[in-house]
Amino acid sequence: MDVSQYLEIFIEESKEHLQSLNDQLLILEREPENEDTINEIFRAAHSLKGMAGTMGYKRMQRLTHDMENVFSEVRNGKMKVSSELVDVLFKGLDALEEYLANIQADANEGTNDNEDIINSLNNILNKGLGKAPVESSADQKPTVLSATSIDTDKMKFKHIKIEDHEKKAIVKAGTLGMNVIGLTIYIHEYCVLKAARAYMVNRNLEEHGEIIKLFPTAQDIEDEKFDFHYSVFMVSKETPEKLAEVAESISEIKEVVADYISLSNEDVTNYTNVLKREETALASGAARTSETKNGSVQKKANKPVTNRSVRVDIEKLDVLMNLVSELIIAKNGLVSISSTSQVALEHGFSEQIEYLERVTTNLHESVMRVRMVPIESVVNRFPRMIRDLSKKLNKEMELYMSGEETELDRTVIDEIGDPLMHLLRNAADHGLESNEERQRLGKNSVGSIFLEAYQEGNNVVIEVRDDGSGINVDKIKKKALERGTITEDQAARMSDKEIIDLLFQPSFSTAEQVTDVSGRGVGLDVVKTKIETLGGEIEARSVLGEGSTFIIRLPLTLAIIQALMVMIGREKFALPLGSIQTVENIPNTDVRMIQGKEVINLRGSVIPIIRLGEVLDCVKAENEPEEFVIVVVKKGERLAGLVVDELIGQQEIVIKSIGKYIKAHKIVSGSTILGNGEVSLILDVNSLI
Amino acid sequence: MAEDVKQFIVLRLDQELFGIDIKFIESIIVMQSITRVPKSQPYYKGVINLRGDIVPVMSLREKLGLESDDYGHSTRIIIVRPDEQAAPAGIIVDEVKEVIELEDSDIDQLAYDKTDVKSNISFGIGKYKNELINILDIPNLLLEKETNKK
Repeated sequence: MDVSQYLEIFIEESKEHLQSLNDQLLILEREPENEDTINEIFRAAHSLKGMAGTMGYKRMQRLTHDMENVFSEVRNGKMKVSSELVDVLFKGLDALEEYLANIQADANEGTNDNEDIINSLNNILNKGLGKAPVESSADQKPTVLSATSIDTDKMKFKHIKIEDHEKKAIVKAGTLGMNVIGLTIYIHEYCVLKAARAYMVNRNLEEHGEIIKLFPTAQDIEDEKFDFHYSVFMVSKETPEKLAEVAESISEIKEVVADYISLSNEDVTNYTNVLKREETALASGAARTSETKNGSVQKKANKPVTNRSVRVDIEKLDVLMNLVSELIIAKNGLVSISSTSQVALEHGFSEQIEYLERVTTNLHESVMRVRMVPIESVVNRFPRMIRDLSKKLNKEMELYMSGEETELDRTVIDEIGDPLMHLLRNAADHGLESNEERQRLGKNSVGSIFLEAYQEGNNVVIEVRDDGSGINVDKIKKKALERGTITEDQAARMSDKEIIDLLFQPSFSTAEQVTDVSGRGVGLDVVKTKIETLGGEIEARSVLGEGSTFIIRLPLTLAIIQALMVMIGREKFALPLGSIQTVENIPNTDVRMIQGKEVINLRGSVIPIIRLGEVLDCVKAENEPEEFVIVVVKKGERLAGLVVDELIGQQEIVIKSIGKYIKAHKIVSGSTILGNGEVSLILDVNSLI
Repeated sequence: MAEDVKQFIVLRLDQELFGIDIKFIESIIVMQSITRVPKSQPYYKGVINLRGDIVPVMSLREKLGLESDDYGHSTRIIIVRPDEQAAPAGIIVDEVKEVIELEDSDIDQLAYDKTDVKSNISFGIGKYKNELINILDIPNLLLEKETNKK
């Protein structure tokens, strides 16, 4: 079978299963008895194995198979979850991820057999099983004891292992006055469609009761993966003889043997208790009425609700987004015509234009929302990473995450993982003190790292915070002086915040030097560059002894923004509305000079002003106006006033890159096409402050 | 021999003739309003809106160190791409004259002085009738590899 066309789906789904395994294992480590988690893990491992097998990735299949064996024993309660086991399982997951990465690269799983992992899995398996010999022997042997039959050999069902949940169902049937009957059905060797025969038998049997277990499984029977006999366990009011008769009535059935099944007394008491507990739980409000009726094999498998979603190639969404952009440009064109020409006077024209504007804005928002992905898909691998770091660094720490549901544009999601990982590593490695040190300082000996995401206006904010030692400003200052990054003079004048910002300078980026300085800053310049290419910004805050916080702000949308159009000289520029605080008219007499910089006093706070005209080499007005139009913008905590000549108005603009040929001033973040077809540049005010 | 024949568009700057292989050329448009990009390379005049795309436009005159343009009714912007995947760029020229065919043997490699800007952007000199045509190396002209600058 040619499976290459399924490769993409395989990769996507395997990733999901691996992620789910990772998450669930972390939970399992904390709550080794959590039955739901074990079931979830088992299911994920099982699907993964099946998929790898179908795709012909033998090594991957083998490894998952061995992992699944372990999970299966854990699920059946024959093994306890130990930290050693979890370690090996995590190693196994890493190996699977490696296979997957290889497959993604060249559709080939690679040649690493990962024998060591498989061996240690099997060792654990054997050891785990050996530890509980009594239990396992009781389980391995058929739990059916009461029946006395002449032909036990034929009654294959008596040798079939009964799982815990099935025992429960059996006990339950007993309490309801039903019989549990085992049957082994022999089909004639000459039968061609044995699966079909089995199906008919089962259908007929189901008229007299309920089948709770098939051996082999229903799926295997359907696929004809059985010899000429199979076994059925069912709950029924009928006698074994009657049922055997029913089954034999189907043609091509050679023989049917049947008998009652009962459990050991110990099991009966155990599960009666379990059932009682469950019933009380049911009575107390859980609306799972169907369970009493179904009481079947499937009862634990809380099937996920089918997701009403579609997988869409991101490129298709890009095309859609481009079309929306075109539409908005066309709409802007119409708006600008309507404001200048005679048609505007025509009845109803402007109403229609306004309607069009509303629709395009909504359309844009909807398309944006389609492209949005919860940040969860990036951050869900961090708990695992922190766990590993914690072991490696021998520091106890806990990661607290919130706001995983916060959504970001898909393109941003794809890029944001590495910077976040970087910051978390920094926090774990350098931010947090050792456990002993923390105890000495009277802190909780287990360090805390927080990863919080939330939406704030047009931005999404992601904070990485630790409660470690914080950034030592003096040490950075000293190092910066030694390295000649700043002069003594500058150092004296710099605020703590400015000094912390030095960490983002490339010269501070090499690990060794910075670890010596402050225990901070490994490649922070790389993080900063990355965030900035995404149109965002990063800021560090720290209180010595109490910890540090890195705050990342990212724009919600990348392609279309609201902007304030301004006139500087004879040129139009767009200022993104997101960073604008207020617009002020300030008489030119209010501008003061402080340390060679022009500032204004705006309601008590002194803010520097920037003459955009000079920065941009615009044609100067002949004589200075008496009143400045100042657009006050905010970057993090800092404010600045941008002097412009005239305000035009607010407009929705489509960001277009000006390409890489032109090496523009860093203040130009892009361009946009105005309604009349003219091109206007978008100014990135952040780079000025 | 036929496969060695290439088509070139001949353009004029002052009295000098230049040629561009038509495989690089996407379209030729008339002069239109250019939005200045502050602090860019001086020979880039800015960006234009080409059917909804933003395209940077360079003055070939200023790139070659000639006097700056005096836009007239024959001024054209030639839209070129250094390769099929690359983004387009515009080149302002005084006039677009004609399309000619040259064989490889018609094009001579000239040994320029390495410091001359023309050595980096010239592919060779083509001989056509009695004229000498400087064939432009479009990828070099646009991509400005770092080594070429020194």
